[in-house]
Amino acid sequence: MGNAKPTAGEILQGTLDMLILRTLVTGPAHGHTIAQVIEHTSENALEVEQGSLYPALHRLEDRGLVSSEWGTSENNRRAKFYRLTTKGRRELTAATSRWRHMTRAIGLILGESTE
Amino acid sequence: MNLRRFTGRKAKDADFADEIESHLAHEQDANAARGLSPEKARRRASLRFGNRNSLRDGEWRYRSVPWLDALWRDLKFVARSLRKTPGFTIVAIIVIAVGIGVNTAVFSVINTVLLKPLTYPNPRELVMLMNSSPRGSFPGANVPKFNIWRQQTGVFAKVAAYDYGGAGLNLTGGDHPIQVQGVHVSQQFISMLGAPVVAGRTFTQAEDSPNGGRVVVLSSGLWKSRFGGNQHIVGSTIQLDGHPYLVVGIIGKDFETEVPTDLWLPFQFDLNTQDQAHYFAVAARLKPGVTIGQANAQLKLAADQFRRTYGPEAMGPQDGFGVESLEATMVGDSRTSLWVLMGAVAFVLLIACANVANLLLVRASVRKRELATRAALGAGRAQIVRQLLVESLALALSGGLLGLVLGAVGVRVLLAMARGGIPRIGENGSAVVPDWHVLLFTLGVSILTGVLFGLAPAIGASRPNLVAALNESSSRSGAGFRSGKVRSVLVVSEMALALILVIGATLLIRTFMKLQAVDPGYDTRNVLTMAMSISGDRFQKTAGVAQLVKDGTDRVSALPGVQNAAAACCLPLDGGFGLPFNIVGRPKGKEPFTGGGGYLTVSWNYFNAFKIPLLRGRMFTEQDNGAAPGVVIINETMAKRFWPKGDPLKDRLEIGPGMGPNFTESARQVIGIVGDTRVQSLSQEPDPIMYTPIAQMPDGMTALNSRIAPLYWIARTRVEPHSLATPMAEALRVASGGLPVAHIRTMDELVIRNTSRQRFNMLLLTIFGASALLMAAIGIYGLMAYSVQQRTQEMGIRMALGAQAAHIRTLVIRQGMVLALVGVVIGLAGAFGLTRFLASFLFDVKAWDPLAFIATPLLLAAVALVAVWVPAERAVRVDPMSALRFE
Repeated sequence: MGNAKPTAGEILQGTLDMLILRTLVTGPAHGHTIAQVIEHTSENALEVEQGSLYPALHRLEDRGLVSSEWGTSENNRRAKFYRLTTKGRRELTAATSRWRHMTRAIGLILGESTE
Repeated sequence: MNLRRFTGRKAKDADFADEIESHLAHEQDANAARGLSPEKARRRASLRFGNRNSLRDGEWRYRSVPWLDALWRDLKFVARSLRKTPGFTIVAIIVIAVGIGVNTAVFSVINTVLLKPLTYPNPRELVMLMNSSPRGSFPGANVPKFNIWRQQTGVFAKVAAYDYGGAGLNLTGGDHPIQVQGVHVSQQFISMLGAPVVAGRTFTQAEDSPNGGRVVVLSSGLWKSRFGGNQHIVGSTIQLDGHPYLVVGIIGKDFETEVPTDLWLPFQFDLNTQDQAHYFAVAARLKPGVTIGQANAQLKLAADQFRRTYGPEAMGPQDGFGVESLEATMVGDSRTSLWVLMGAVAFVLLIACANVANLLLVRASVRKRELATRAALGAGRAQIVRQLLVESLALALSGGLLGLVLGAVGVRVLLAMARGGIPRIGENGSAVVPDWHVLLFTLGVSILTGVLFGLAPAIGASRPNLVAALNESSSRSGAGFRSGKVRSVLVVSEMALALILVIGATLLIRTFMKLQAVDPGYDTRNVLTMAMSISGDRFQKTAGVAQLVKDGTDRVSALPGVQNAAAACCLPLDGGFGLPFNIVGRPKGKEPFTGGGGYLTVSWNYFNAFKIPLLRGRMFTEQDNGAAPGVVIINETMAKRFWPKGDPLKDRLEIGPGMGPNFTESARQVIGIVGDTRVQSLSQEPDPIMYTPIAQMPDGMTALNSRIAPLYWIARTRVEPHSLATPMAEALRVASGGLPVAHIRTMDELVIRNTSRQRFNMLLLTIFGASALLMAAIGIYGLMAYSVQQRTQEMGIRMALGAQAAHIRTLVIRQGMVLALVGVVIGLAGAFGLTRFLASFLFDVKAWDPLAFIATPLLLAAVALVAVWVPAERAVRVDPMSALRFE
């Protein structure tokens, strides 16, 4: 990423990644859980499409931000669990701060007061 | 780019499938928990998830490199389709492999000789000092020149003198003395060339001065072979010509020298000598940043100074000094020879390409239906071209790989044929090794080849008329007008290229035959020669050498099988000396010398040993010794040139005027005229030559001679000459008090060596020309055979309608011969343009030799006729009934 300021497009594209990483902060989870957590936490405002979730997870794994491992789920079924790596944790911090900057900027434009 | 993305694609896909299953199971559980029946829960989960396969597909594509994937698919397809037609595949690969193989072989040599820089540090700074004259420039130096060149410190960083080790030295002190190649060098020589000193040191300035002591630097080769690689040899002494020499250093093995060198000795010049005879060479290292042009400008001034100091006798008004790059002088005229060869093999490769392109066109037309089907099923034109190009590249690269192997073998064959005719290739061509230049070259040529022969067929095949192609029956389709035209063009170019090569080969064959027919002026059969280094103290005075010559020739003559024996300063075709002369009583001309000619010192029966005929006067006798008045025999050319009307036998010659005190002698009476001999090379017209008896040389010249050149022994034998090598060497060893001999060769071998370059060029071009001719013949045969096969039905109808066999035959032959003749005409034009590059290799044959330019096209036409005749006969034998039922 360097020091260059990320563009708005990059931030929006990275949003799902950020949400996934955020979900994993509390511990390893498999795809189904991740989707559910995002949906529930956002009070069902965000619906995660499986069509984007899994490719996003795999790209995160390719980038070394998460690692994966097959295990047994709470339902006693086989499931692939994703775990946040150190690199992923660092990326989450960076992405969160980028997001904050972004929403603040948008808020300013829309004339809302910041917290 | 993240490379993890592309790894383990298959495993990851399977894993993803499992993951999707797992997700669906969890979703189903969640749905079931909400109270749905198991089937409904499953269905809802599945619905919500969407298309699993397209998701997996997306992932698969994300994990693939697109073009690599397509390429891999094409390659697999190509491998399958090539395996199905092994005949075509093998022929195509072999044709390409031969074409690329000869190119790789010739390029390997060019790479070593012409492209690799000299192995010295900053080789571009190294130059050779030359004497320039209106007749050309040549190396060669004497001490006065060396002095004045060394003073040009503005342009030269270092200047060093060296000789070619001509005399040889006798390494004594062991059980068996051996003759070694000792090169005399001035102090800066070794450091100028940056030679690696592996032990000890090089000479000091004091050691390179007169009376500087006997010191020597050993080559790595001699050090290892003779002294077992013992480091302690440095600081000890070895025996050379019976004297102890202190070994001061050893040079590493990677040091490239112009002539094979066993050891180096300091020249120890007397820098005050005025001797003007050239007997060594001088090289220099330019100061950094100085160009050859600047050095030449500086040397122009130096030449003026030299002329003022030593007078017009030493340097004519039109003569001067100059420099040439050391690399260029080392490579010499091999450069043109090698580039001509490269051109020839490039032609061979082009013909090979044309042949393979032809094969591919046939293949493409046979596969027209297959390709049309693929196109009809939706394959894009680019896809089809790509697939066909992958096919030709696969062929070309396989051929290239095989060609690399063939080239490695071929280059050994090539070097074996060259027999020392090529510089810089090391002993037995050891310096010619494949390196990444050669690999890159072969790879590049392979790819180029593949594109060259694959592109036209690929493009042609990619624009099929689908309807026509699919409707035609497979056996008849494809003789389309277009591909027929392309194939004709290919055959015409093959013919043209082959003709050019064969004309070149014919010119060289004619040259070689003319050379073989040259009468050298002496009888080369049954003559055995050997060299003896006589650099020792005994041979610094003429009397000592004369005594050796007398004893030696007496003993050798007495051997059974020897007809007579002689000795001389030099052998024909093996170098020699030249000196100026004045004819006593004639006014000295404006030129520095009244004349100049070859100068040979010989024993009295030299002429008998070589069977050189006496034309007038008398031969030398044993009585023409040091005590008798000086005599000289001249050759016919000299007599004709300098006495066009008068009688040379009435005149006396002053030999070596102005050459310095060592050469001073009283005038000699001309006593005889002998027949001309070709001593420089067989292709060179005889020059004037003076012969003087060894026994009558001035002492100073004998001393110089003994130092710079060996003494040659010559025996005319009644039996096979080599059978006498051992007894003759033994007789000479006894006569000389234990000196060894070296360079044992028959005169016939010297002749072969002298014509080795012509033989080499001729052999190679003949081989290339013959293979080109063969390939072109195959090309035209293939085209006509194919065309006859395609037109079987037409022939059948014609015959059924009453056409005569002769008529059908003419029809086919005419079609083929028109192509051949068009090729011949184009080839003739090309040959007219190109043979002038061969001019410098020709002897007594013009570059547009009428015989070559008439006979070769006839030969080519005859070969084409045979190649066309066979298919024509087949056409005639077509049975109309079966032809009509050919469907």
